[in-house]
Amino acid sequence: MTPATTLTTDRLTLRLPQAADLPTYTAFCASDRSRFVMGPFDAVQAFNKLCAMVGHWTLRGFGRYVMDLGGRGIGHVGPLAMDARDLPEFTWTLWDPAAEGQGLATEAALAVKAHLFEDLGWTEMIIRIQPGNTASCRSAERIGAVLTDAEAPDWYPGALTYRLTAGGAA
Amino acid sequence: MTALAADIPVIETERLVLRAPKMADFPAFADHCASDRATFSTGRLTRAQAWREFASAAGAWALQGHGAWSIADKDDTYLGEIAILHPAEFPEVELGWTVMAPAEGKGIAFEAAQAALRWAFGVRGLATLVSYITPGNKRSIALAERVGAVWDAEAALPEGETANDSVVYRHRGRA
Repeated sequence: MTPATTLTTDRLTLRLPQAADLPTYTAFCASDRSRFVMGPFDAVQAFNKLCAMVGHWTLRGFGRYVMDLGGRGIGHVGPLAMDARDLPEFTWTLWDPAAEGQGLATEAALAVKAHLFEDLGWTEMIIRIQPGNTASCRSAERIGAVLTDAEAPDWYPGALTYRLTAGGAA
Repeated sequence: MTALAADIPVIETERLVLRAPKMADFPAFADHCASDRATFSTGRLTRAQAWREFASAAGAWALQGHGAWSIADKDDTYLGEIAILHPAEFPEVELGWTVMAPAEGKGIAFEAAQAALRWAFGVRGLATLVSYITPGNKRSIALAERVGAVWDAEAALPEGETANDSVVYRHRGRA
């Protein structure tokens, strides 16, 4: 079974990134909200990053979905692994501040986790979150991730590392 | 169009296949980007930076309906990249090319560029596109001229660049 390019949850459609997502994503990249993901990024960087998000699907056959709420992209969620030897990293980000506080990121992450672990047979992912990003840490806990003492990678100094395994608490 | 590999058009020429980029191409691309050969295009890149370049150019298809092809020979050996890209810093759609060292000097980029232009004008319906070339890159300038592009002194340059960084060669579809 190959990864689905669309998933649905109670409130969201999870789909591939598209051109219409660019304004919201660019605004996110320019905003203070991107501080937890090494931002801010300008419009040139935002375009390249969104293209690379799609290109990950092209090259690896799986990747990150856009959380679509009523026809509008509000964030992204999904696994990332540049190399088949890397343990996939599970990520989620709400672009739109108006989408916060409603459990949407958790809802999306649970759906993608279920697809990867239950439908595709994946067994393990890591999650890296900057300390102080309490909303994301809460989502990590809610989807059953376990905080570890693994060191942060060079490219993401200070990050906390969670481990998410198939069969863990959900 | 999604930019999943199956949705990226395939073009065959006498010696080449232009097809979706894939992971098996990446090690050669990353080595190229880490070498002096990248001086005229991206500048020297780390492996992670090269991956983002490679993925971004592949993913552009979904956002803009054009993007990067890997150039392969008929045995599917990776020879380089040919790309129709319009990143945010470019005022116009650009045709760019990169050939790996072992494939150089054989007219590979010329054959690939002709095919990409035929697609851009005939299939995609673009009226014009440009190639931004570093002034000292004589090989690329010669190639641009060989595929029919002409120097356009009036064309806008990529954001933040001056005439020391790029000259603009303009491709036009034949009416």
